[in-house]
Amino acid sequence: MQDLQREHAPPSETRGGVPHTRGEDRSGSRRSFAERLVVAFQRWSIERRVLVGFGLVFAGILVISAVSYRNMTVLFRNTHQDQRSHELIELLVGMGTRMDEAEIGHRRYLVTGDESYLKGFHILDERIPDYIRYARELTRDIPEQRQHVDLLNQLMQKQLEAERAAITLRGRTGFEGVRDIALTGVAKAELEEFHRIQAQMEHDENRSIYGRGIQSAAITRNTIGLLSVGAFLLFVLLASVYYLIRHDITERRRVAAELERRGELLEAANKELEAFSYSVSHDLRAPLRHIDGYASLLEKSAQQLLDDKSKRYLQTISESATRMGQLIDDLLVFSRMGRQEMLRSAVNLDQLVKSVLHDLRHDMQDRNISWSIGALPEVKGDPAMLRQVFSNLIGNAVKFTNTRPLATIEIGSDQSSPAETVIFVRDNGVGFDMQYAGKLFGVFQRLHRANEFEGTGIGLANVRRIIHRHGGRTWAESELGRGATFFFSLPTKMEST
Amino acid sequence: MTATKPILLAEDNPRDAELALAAMEEYHLADKVILCHDGAEVLDYLYCRGQFKTRLHGNPAVVFLDLKMPKIDGLEVLRTIKSDETLKPIPVVMLTSSREERDLAESYALGANAYVVKPVEFHQFLKAVKELGIFWGVINEPPPEVPGRHKS
Repeated sequence: MQDLQREHAPPSETRGGVPHTRGEDRSGSRRSFAERLVVAFQRWSIERRVLVGFGLVFAGILVISAVSYRNMTVLFRNTHQDQRSHELIELLVGMGTRMDEAEIGHRRYLVTGDESYLKGFHILDERIPDYIRYARELTRDIPEQRQHVDLLNQLMQKQLEAERAAITLRGRTGFEGVRDIALTGVAKAELEEFHRIQAQMEHDENRSIYGRGIQSAAITRNTIGLLSVGAFLLFVLLASVYYLIRHDITERRRVAAELERRGELLEAANKELEAFSYSVSHDLRAPLRHIDGYASLLEKSAQQLLDDKSKRYLQTISESATRMGQLIDDLLVFSRMGRQEMLRSAVNLDQLVKSVLHDLRHDMQDRNISWSIGALPEVKGDPAMLRQVFSNLIGNAVKFTNTRPLATIEIGSDQSSPAETVIFVRDNGVGFDMQYAGKLFGVFQRLHRANEFEGTGIGLANVRRIIHRHGGRTWAESELGRGATFFFSLPTKMEST
Repeated sequence: MTATKPILLAEDNPRDAELALAAMEEYHLADKVILCHDGAEVLDYLYCRGQFKTRLHGNPAVVFLDLKMPKIDGLEVLRTIKSDETLKPIPVVMLTSSREERDLAESYALGANAYVVKPVEFHQFLKAVKELGIFWGVINEPPPEVPGRHKS
């Protein structure tokens, strides 16, 4: 959805901007504000845009839901109140009718003395409390109507009392005593007042009903409008979700295809590399062998003819060829180290170090070395590769301490971190300047002149490559002339390539 | 008996061949060496055909095989030798530039008797070839001749 907005916003900007040459100041400032908004929006990350977009839509839907809920409540209340109004009107009409019946009935009785005409009167007498209670309940929330009800109550009581008095009088004096009353009726004014108030109340209720009707209609229209907007927002939301999901799926497919393609390329590159190093291994060595071989043969066959200088030249040719052979071998080992399948087995470093020391014993002849080897842990990794690591590090320590009358070499571990095991090899040899520490682990990088210490400079590159393949790190600390310490770490959980 | 058996050297590179012969010469083994320039020639010799039709019958004391050769390569020759009942007993030494694990593994899987990487340094090469020649051509007792189909 964010992308949709982003795609759609700029055209509407230009469309809005170009034709409005008049009133430029207004549209200009608006445009720049909108532009600023678009720019700010585009500066956001996709996640933020999605979040903000969805947030806005959700907020809109929430507001619409709240307003609609309130509207529905008002509608319900109005309906309920309308019902009460209708009930009240009906009740008032009923009360009026009863009043009239009672009045007419009692007058007939006054004239005829027939007590059956008093039925209306008795019913009214009996029902007044009910009527009033009901009316009070219906007008509970409307104070004016409630006052009217009280007034009606008084009027009805007065009327009833007057009629009762007249009936009693008729019983005592006969028709003659109530003749005037029978003709004119008692409490005529009260009855009229009653009808007036009753009409007033009916009118009020009808007006309320009408008012509420108008309100309900407005609210209904309002709600329909809001729900339409809500439906639109929901549609936008759904469309965006659909778009995002589809976009995501397309992207995933694309990435998967890309990965597959790259995997194939990588595989092809690896195969080529393998063929390359195979060829190097086979074909590059032969001419070197010939150079050295023929130089030696020449030296031998022309021994009498050659002076010392020429012999030295031949010697140098041989040495160079041999050295190049060594470099090629080292490079091949290094290259193989990166491609070779890696084993993951438990490796007992104590034993590994012991066997490496055994292998190096020839290099340590005539050397005075004090060894301090701490307890080493068992780690997970490729035994042959880790052996190469120790062989290189310990070999270096032995090599770079050969100027010391007493060499001290310490091998130990630090297992204080739960995530990794750190192993170190420390010597008191010539050390190196820390400013070259970054170069130390590079291929064919040497910090010493060839005539100082032998070697091709591949050892530490191999160490780094092996440790990286195990998911660990390599680093070194030293002070020139005061020995060096080489560290490497192995993660306790293996999950490397 | 061993002294009369020839050493078969399969080497396509004339310089390598010359160097190898120079090495053999030190121990006067050179005249025992029969040089083949490719795999096909090796098989021709072993089966007494082609230019070797008229040679004296009998297997060589040892075959030194280069891996990379024109026409038929070393591994192919090795496979042929080791799958032929008559040729099978001949000791075969792979003498090659390759230190590739793949080649090592395949050679031994096919039944090579030894695998020697030619050292770049001539003195070492000399030493290696000499020692090989002495061991396989003189010290080692070759298998007895087995009558085969190509024998008369």
